[in-house]
Amino acid sequence: MTVKVEVKGLNFYYPGGVQALKNINFSVYKNTVTALIGPSGCGKTTLLRCFNRMHDLYPGNRYEGEILLDGRNILSKNIDLIDLRSRVGMVFQKPTPFPMSIFDNISYGLKLRGIKKKSVLSERVEHALKQAAIWDEVKDKLFESAYTLSGGQQQRLVIARALAVEPEIILFDEPTSALDPISTAKIEGLLEHLKKSVTIIIVTHNLQQAARVSDWTGFLMLGELVEFDATEKMFTSPREKLTEDYITGRFG
Amino acid sequence: MPVSLKKNPVDLAFLVITATASLSVLVLILGIVFVLFSESALSIKEFGILRFIFSTDWNPVIESYGAATSLFGTAVTTLLSLVLAIPVAIGIAIFVTEIAPGFLKGPIGVAIELLAAIPSIIYGMWGLFTLAPIMADYIEPALQDTVGRIPFVGILFEGTPMGIDLLTASLILSIMITPFTASISRDAFNLTPAIVKESAYALGATKWEVMKNIVIPYSKLGVFGGAVLSLGRALGETMAVAFVLGNNHQITSSLLDAAATITVTLANEFTEADTDLYLSALFNLALILFVMSFAILAVAKFFLLRAERKFTR
Repeated sequence: MTVKVEVKGLNFYYPGGVQALKNINFSVYKNTVTALIGPSGCGKTTLLRCFNRMHDLYPGNRYEGEILLDGRNILSKNIDLIDLRSRVGMVFQKPTPFPMSIFDNISYGLKLRGIKKKSVLSERVEHALKQAAIWDEVKDKLFESAYTLSGGQQQRLVIARALAVEPEIILFDEPTSALDPISTAKIEGLLEHLKKSVTIIIVTHNLQQAARVSDWTGFLMLGELVEFDATEKMFTSPREKLTEDYITGRFG
Repeated sequence: MPVSLKKNPVDLAFLVITATASLSVLVLILGIVFVLFSESALSIKEFGILRFIFSTDWNPVIESYGAATSLFGTAVTTLLSLVLAIPVAIGIAIFVTEIAPGFLKGPIGVAIELLAAIPSIIYGMWGLFTLAPIMADYIEPALQDTVGRIPFVGILFEGTPMGIDLLTASLILSIMITPFTASISRDAFNLTPAIVKESAYALGATKWEVMKNIVIPYSKLGVFGGAVLSLGRALGETMAVAFVLGNNHQITSSLLDAAATITVTLANEFTEADTDLYLSALFNLALILFVMSFAILAVAKFFLLRAERKFTR
C-alpha cells in the first residue's frame, strides 16, 4: 500500500490561540477510505479542513507540523492553494449546488481551470455525472437549475462536481447528515466505487457508516487522535479503553 | 387569547396602547392621501390628470401648470445618480464583505453609516459652496473637451458650465445614496450561505470568481431591491438638490443645464403660490410624487421579500 498523505506532528490553533488539534500523526493510504470519528467538538472536521487548507479562508488560524501529500508539505507557505484545492476536493454536510444549471455546476471547476472547449466540457460533465451515479436522473434536464433536484440528488451532483476536476483526494464532511436513509445508502455505495480512482477521507457522526464504508478509522477526542487503525480491528478489538467506550455507545 | 385578555387588565391596557400606536400610522397615511387628493382637486379639474402630467408649461403668470418639466428633472437626477452610485456601492459592499481584512471591516462599516447620517441640507450646502465651483471650473470643461466631442453623446454636455445643473445635482444625490445602497448590498451579500462559498473555494476558485459566480448571482434580487429602495430615496430627496439644480422649469438635452425636480419645485414655490390654482397645482405635483414613491417602495419590498424567502427555505 502506498502512503498518499502523511500527517506528522500536526497542531492547529483557532484565533486567540485556542488549540483544536494536538500532535496528530497518521497516514492515509492511496485508494482507501479513511473515516474520522469522535464526539462533537473533538476536532474531526477541523482536521479534515486542514487537508485542503480551508482554514486559510478565515483570519487568525495557525497550523504547526506537516501534512505530506505525495511527500510534499502542503502546510508550507509557498503552496499554491488553488492548485492544492484542485487536487483535494471537498463535499460538505449539506448539498451546496451553485445558483446555475446542472451542467454549469459540473463544468464550473473545469472552466476555472481554463477548459473552454464545448466537446471536452460535455464529455467530462457526462463522465463525472456517471461516476456519481446520477447521470440517468439528470441527463434530460442538464440545463435546468440545480435547485430543481432533491436533496439526495443535489449531494450526488456536488460529488460529481468534485469528481469532474479529477482530484486525487476527496474530503467528505458528514456528507449524509442531511439526507434520508435511501439517499444515504446510495452515497455509501458510491464511496465504495469511487475509491478505485480517488483516495477518500470522510468525517462521520454515524459509527455504523464508518464501519460500513471505511478501510481505516481514526478516533479523535478533545483534539487528540486517540487511536488509528484498520476499521475492522478498531471496531472488533480496539486498543484503547476510550475507543471501546465510544464505539460501544457508552458516551458521545 | 382574547379570553385571557379579558381576565388580565394589564394585557388589555397593553393591547389598547400598542394597537392605538399602530392604527395611528394607518390613520395618518389615509389622512395625508385624503389631503393630497382634495387639495389637488382644483388642478385635476382644470387640467385633467394626463394633460397635467404631459404638459411642459409651468407658468404662474398665465396660470398654466404641467408636471412634465418637474418629472423630467426628477427622472434625470434620480436615474443618473443611481447609475453613478450603484457601481461604487457594490464595490464598497464587495470590499467590506469579502476582501477587506478583519481590522478594516469595522471602521469602513462605521464610516459608511456616518456618511448616511449626514443631514441632507449639509450635502446641499457642500454642493453649492464646494462641489459646484469645482464642477464649473474643472470637471465640466474637462468633460466637454473629452466625451463632449463624441458625436451624439456631446449633446449631453453642451452649454456654459455653471456648476448649478443636472449633473452636479445627480452627483450630490449619488453621494447621498451610496452609503445606503452599499449597506443594503452588504446585507444581501451576507445572505449567501458560507458553506456554498466554501464549496467554490474548495473547487479552487479565487475570491473574484466566488464573488462573480456565487455571491452576486445569489444576492442579485437583494441588491436589486436595494437599488430600488435607493431610487425611492433619491426621488424624495429635496434639500441636497435644491441648492445646485437652479429650479428652472425646462426640458433640456444637456446635463449642464439647470432644471427642476418635483421636490425642489415644492420647496421653492409654496411661499409664492398666491392663487388657489397655483397651490392646487403644487399639491397635484406632491400627489404624483407620493404615488411614485409608493409604487417604488412596493416594488423594492417585493424583491427584498423574494430574496429573503429564497434563502430561508
